[in-house]
Amino acid sequence: MPYEFDEILETIRMTEVEHFDIRTVTLGISLRDCHDRNIEVTKQKIYDKIMKYGKNHVKYAREIEAKYGISIANKRISITPVSIPFDPFHAEEFIEIAKILDKAAEEIGIDYLAGYSALVQKGMTNGERELIQSIPYALASTKRVCSSVNIASTKAGINMDAILMMAEAIKKTAELTKDRDSIGCAKLVVFANAVEDNPFVAGAFHGVSEPEVTLNVGISGPGVVLDAIKEAGYCDTQGLAEVIKKTIFKITRAGELIGRKVAEKHGVPFGIVDVSLAPTPAEGDSIADILMAMGLEDVGGPGTTAALAMLNDSVKKAGLMASGVVGGMSGAFIPVSEDMGMIRAVENGNLTIEKLEAMTAVCSVGLDMIAVPGDTTASTIAGIIADEAAIGVINDKTTAVRIIPAYGKKEGESVDYGGLLGKAPIMSVKRISCEKFIGRGGRIPAPMRSLTN
Amino acid sequence: MKLTEDEIRKITLSAIEELGDKATPDNVKTIVKKAVESFDSSPSDIKMNESSGRAILTSFGINKPGIVASITKAISQCQCDIYDLSQKIMGDFFTMIMIVDLTNSPSDLKTVQEELAKVAEELKIKIYLQHEDVFRYMHRI
Repeated sequence: MPYEFDEILETIRMTEVEHFDIRTVTLGISLRDCHDRNIEVTKQKIYDKIMKYGKNHVKYAREIEAKYGISIANKRISITPVSIPFDPFHAEEFIEIAKILDKAAEEIGIDYLAGYSALVQKGMTNGERELIQSIPYALASTKRVCSSVNIASTKAGINMDAILMMAEAIKKTAELTKDRDSIGCAKLVVFANAVEDNPFVAGAFHGVSEPEVTLNVGISGPGVVLDAIKEAGYCDTQGLAEVIKKTIFKITRAGELIGRKVAEKHGVPFGIVDVSLAPTPAEGDSIADILMAMGLEDVGGPGTTAALAMLNDSVKKAGLMASGVVGGMSGAFIPVSEDMGMIRAVENGNLTIEKLEAMTAVCSVGLDMIAVPGDTTASTIAGIIADEAAIGVINDKTTAVRIIPAYGKKEGESVDYGGLLGKAPIMSVKRISCEKFIGRGGRIPAPMRSLTN
Repeated sequence: MKLTEDEIRKITLSAIEELGDKATPDNVKTIVKKAVESFDSSPSDIKMNESSGRAILTSFGINKPGIVASITKAISQCQCDIYDLSQKIMGDFFTMIMIVDLTNSPSDLKTVQEELAKVAEELKIKIYLQHEDVFRYMHRI
């Protein structure tokens, strides 16, 4: 046999038992040619373009799933940041655009479409300002549209004006979607150093330097890594890093194969593979459980950051070796609400926002799916975003904040969305004011790191 | 398998060397062409760049008479070739791994999967049929 018995069984175990799946195949579509002075014409152009490339997205992905026996959990679409091609429009028109995007997503049969976005790290155009103001209303009046705004980069610095606007937008979104536990905020990400080819929703968008259409893949599989670590038993950390690397290597190879085949079916160029351990609320699909299997009593205690750093680095290294086109995000995601182990740690009082912030300095993204009391002020939220952006900008990495100030709720309660978004216990936030600092506005200059030429 | 330009150049140089004085542009061309063609058709177990027409069937469950017969019957009805087969009984458990060639079959992978699903349902066992590429990508560089 060209394959060993063990090799075949390992693949079967990964795909059938340990929930290894392709987390998402995301079709990136450029909307740069869809602008017209007439909003109705624009809407038609957007709809037609998304349908043209996307109408078979789900069908093709299902065919590949059946052929290779690897499930593709999500089929999604990302688009050019809406503020760029449609800059001349006003808030009301942007909301109209969000609605047509929602309709296209529904028609195609996908759960999320991302790219209701703006890139304002250095400053804002009029259109971008209008778009940010429209975000709460767009998210409240649609189900499938996701929004992200990049407010900082290592090269440009941190746009403090934009941060305050975003904090207010987050508060407003929470209020407008209060009857559904402020779910709008779960579809809104604030980025520093956003990645242009990120396949993971809600932060995905089809960057301006991307081609007309492309297909990116996001791979996951915390369950596979967890079982590999358990099986490895006691070994030193170097040995543990090897175990993680070998496992990730294999799943990345499979992911690249699936991505290429889906792209081939579409007849579009293949973009990148993003190897990110992304948890789901399913039992055993947890990053927290991996950290505990590495030897921690619970997540949030001393040692957590180091363990996470090693995990993140091993994932990146393995991805790098296994694929020629590794995406910029690759690593480990630590969303609280989507990870049973993280939820447990918060409920036990072991994991705080401050420790999570430290963890984001070494994980692949940032403060993700964190619920805070509804009366948290906009300036405090702005402070949290600014802190996170600072970590990203100074360390030249992507960071993000997806925070839910749960309207009308307080510490000790929780928000529950069910499905992939999961359940988030409301965490306590320090009440010390940063209003005067945030109120200064302006832009924190780009750091030393930016002077690389 | 595709040869790189470099490899073809090497073949050409060794052909010229072997021919010595007899080397003319025409006969070198014929020899190299033959060599390249024979390389292309040489059987290789694992080719990385091309997709094979093979699939790997994995089956397991509580052992009972007639499992192999039912599975192979379904496969032969789909006109698939069995390329390799390995079967083990572990306690009460039956396990079987089979490499099946679908190249000459009129049915596609999905149809064969559906046929096998019926067998699996009948015998209360698990049968997975996955395209070989997954295994190749995961375990071979």
